[in-house]
Amino acid sequence: MRLRAWVTAVRQRLSRRSSTTRSTEDDEGATALDTGLTLLGAAIAAVLVAPLGWLVVDVTTLGPRAISLTVDPTTLAVLARTVALVGVVTAASVVVGVGLAVLTVQADIPYPRFWTVVAALPLAVPSYLGAFAAVSAFGPRGALTGALAPFGVEFPTIYGFVGAAVVLTLYTYPYVFLTTRASLLSLDVSLVEAARTLNAGRWEAFRRVTLPRIVPGIAAGALLVALYTLSDFGTPNIMRVEVFTQFIYARYNAFARDYAALLSVQLFAVTAVILAIESRIGVDDSAAYESRANRGAVSLDLGWLRYAAVAVPALIGLLALAVPVGIFGMWLFRSGPGYASGALAFSWTYGWHSVLVALLAAAGAILVALPIGLRSAVSDSRLAALADRAPYVGYATPGIVLAIALVSFSLDIAPWVYKTVPLLVFAYVVRFMPQAIGSIRSSRLQVDQQLIEGARTLGRSPLSAFRSITLPLVLPGIATGGALVFLTTMKELPATLILRPLGFDTLVSYIWRVQEAGLYGQAAVPALVLIVVSGLSMAVILAQEGQNDS
Amino acid sequence: MERTNPLSRRRMLQTVAAGSAVGIAGCAGQSDETAAPTDEISFPELGEFRGSGPLVEGRPAPGGTSIEDLPNLEGELNLYIGGGEGGIYFRFVEKLEEIYPNFEVFPTSASSSSLAQTVVEEVDAGAPQADLFWSIDASSLAFVANNDAYEPLSADAIDPVPSDFTGPDSAWVGVAGRARSIPYNTNALSEDEVPNKVQQIPDTEGLPGSMGWAPSYGAFKSFITAMRLQQGEETTSEWLSSMSSAGTQKYPNEFVVSSEVADGTLDAGFANHYYALRVKNSRPDAPLDLAFTSGDAGALVNVAGALQIEGTEKSDLVNTFVRHLLSAEAQEFFTTVSFAYPMIPDVAPPGDLPTIDELNPPEIELSELSELEATLDLMRSAGVLG
Repeated sequence: MRLRAWVTAVRQRLSRRSSTTRSTEDDEGATALDTGLTLLGAAIAAVLVAPLGWLVVDVTTLGPRAISLTVDPTTLAVLARTVALVGVVTAASVVVGVGLAVLTVQADIPYPRFWTVVAALPLAVPSYLGAFAAVSAFGPRGALTGALAPFGVEFPTIYGFVGAAVVLTLYTYPYVFLTTRASLLSLDVSLVEAARTLNAGRWEAFRRVTLPRIVPGIAAGALLVALYTLSDFGTPNIMRVEVFTQFIYARYNAFARDYAALLSVQLFAVTAVILAIESRIGVDDSAAYESRANRGAVSLDLGWLRYAAVAVPALIGLLALAVPVGIFGMWLFRSGPGYASGALAFSWTYGWHSVLVALLAAAGAILVALPIGLRSAVSDSRLAALADRAPYVGYATPGIVLAIALVSFSLDIAPWVYKTVPLLVFAYVVRFMPQAIGSIRSSRLQVDQQLIEGARTLGRSPLSAFRSITLPLVLPGIATGGALVFLTTMKELPATLILRPLGFDTLVSYIWRVQEAGLYGQAAVPALVLIVVSGLSMAVILAQEGQNDS
Repeated sequence: MERTNPLSRRRMLQTVAAGSAVGIAGCAGQSDETAAPTDEISFPELGEFRGSGPLVEGRPAPGGTSIEDLPNLEGELNLYIGGGEGGIYFRFVEKLEEIYPNFEVFPTSASSSSLAQTVVEEVDAGAPQADLFWSIDASSLAFVANNDAYEPLSADAIDPVPSDFTGPDSAWVGVAGRARSIPYNTNALSEDEVPNKVQQIPDTEGLPGSMGWAPSYGAFKSFITAMRLQQGEETTSEWLSSMSSAGTQKYPNEFVVSSEVADGTLDAGFANHYYALRVKNSRPDAPLDLAFTSGDAGALVNVAGALQIEGTEKSDLVNTFVRHLLSAEAQEFFTTVSFAYPMIPDVAPPGDLPTIDELNPPEIELSELSELEATLDLMRSAGVLG
């Protein structure tokens, strides 16, 4: 199962302390091919991160003012609120994600496969669409608020910190869910059984044996949740919470690009802190894949409670999936004055554009991630480690910030790529590629070095051995990485708006346009198409899991 | 009598011409495609350019130049159009594309201020992408103009609009007006209870604490910028602080503010005028009306406007296009579909609102509205985050 391995790779990438446990080929002296791969990976990482350096150039124009703006009380207050939101969403996602993972992997609930899909699917819904639907359903005079009012059900106001935290949790917890599942599935059950034999209670066995082994997986998912929350703009904006990204937007829209750049650099500092915390939580991750036998077979007998337990994923599915689909469906069929349709007609080419750039981004991400991921999996070189970690800066960069940096960068350096599909795809690759590095790296980790050595002994060239042994074994990792990049690219809005070529609309840019024009009904079809296509890529991810564990 | 009488001379000539063209083509066994493009142009009736609803019924026919009397649009135009109202304005461009078969527009839409910075960066780098920038806010037009990234528009294009709503050196021309206003709930307040100076609102009994605003919205920031330019930083800061501490409710946009006022959740709010009209047009019985302050920022009339981007090779097309935006049909469209204030004098204001002349907006150069950073600093120090 690639996700599980991906988890461990994310973990390792962030804490290299345990690298001695890895078998490496470096002792024997790297071949020219390996050195080449390392250098190629480092070069790629440099190219990916370089555009963000343009932000620092912008900041320098502020001069000494930069310092006073940095420590401004309002700035710090917004920063504190942002950190609080990140903390709350991450904690809630861990609770929900781990709970559902244990439920679907270990408990004897009916139709576990179905509930796994339900629990994973919210990742396919862009959180800003989710927020939009939540407000339409549960906001003042919302569709459901009105329907439930006669029954005496009163909703607290959905706007504000709590509402934003709930919505963000609903659409980001699947990161934790998927990574924790992966860890649970790879768990060596004999250890748990041993603990039980030694008279440890069910809870004690979980706490002392299971938990330490799935913590790296949980932490990897939590990291993705935290960075997503930190860089998200749309959801807090719709839920009316002022966070750092919104602060950046406001400066940028007030023609204060240098100030916006300064705030972005501050955001990088927060990212660095999150990465540091994560790597401290991550204990020795070698435990996460020490065993290949008896995986995931722990069975939690819930008795009659198994039916009650299903209510949890059912409720979450209802809130995170049924509500948005229902709201968009309602917009589609309702033709009141507020929902009048106009001449901004939907064209299926928007869907095609979305899929095209998402496919290109996935392919591009895999291409650049291959040398980095393959090399860092087996190398202890500092350069390879740096190449592996540096791209994370891009992952944590809000889309708007990346877009601004890329506009200046491309206009200054290479005006001919400005506003072209290649530059747009480049932006996606910078932002989402770390997801692909992770999964490729981890699948490479699981390739038995002896197989490759065997092939070499039998006279295969390094390249030939790679083609016939390594490549087929890392393919599932490539598929998972590509699907994750595809999924996140489909949903990306801010960079798409600024960097897309003239007249090139995608599903999200079209949704944005019609929503701006007040034609909510028009947003229904593209929103549903977006969710369905993204859902299909979730299927690819879950299929990898199924294939490898059955 | 509406000008779009199907028997107007020009239309009749067209019909005859088109008929004979088809006749000849038929005789020669050729397809219609051989007919000259101009023969295919037919102009829809005025009703096609109008919105619908109670606020639109019974309006007089618009004066001004008809698109039928303007040169035809031909060619391709790259357009940067600001989001928000721009989405609605663009529907008119789609109508033009339907009318002129050889005219095509490639739009790029993002927030106006984002596009303005993009235009300046592109022009600085010698790589302009678009021919025309259509902003929904004068501050973005001024930003581009102040950075010398424009080509002056022709006199033909500028002339129909009063000079208050054009940029210095013909840098830009307003195509639709957006007035600041105070939507109020008629069950809660009478018109007399809304003061006619925005500075008096914090001291007016019953108003503070029952109002709403949308400080993150661009038009609100322009409103505060105008107040700052007119009243100074200190007064503006005090005004913001006292409104904020009185419990003014914050909303994401001004349409919501206007709807909340209509619902009675709020007694009054700060919003662009057209949001209330939009609510009113879909809910004619809503207890909602508009008040305007006098001679101060509360009556600021901002504009959406068009600017020719430096480096375009399609100057003729850009200017003809802008003239189309200021035609009788276009102005009627903007007035009845998005409920904007018309920019040409011969088109009546939307709803039964006073004309711009009757409004008494403040004496402020719209070009100065681009000095936004000081406004944001001011809002931040007053604890109102935009």
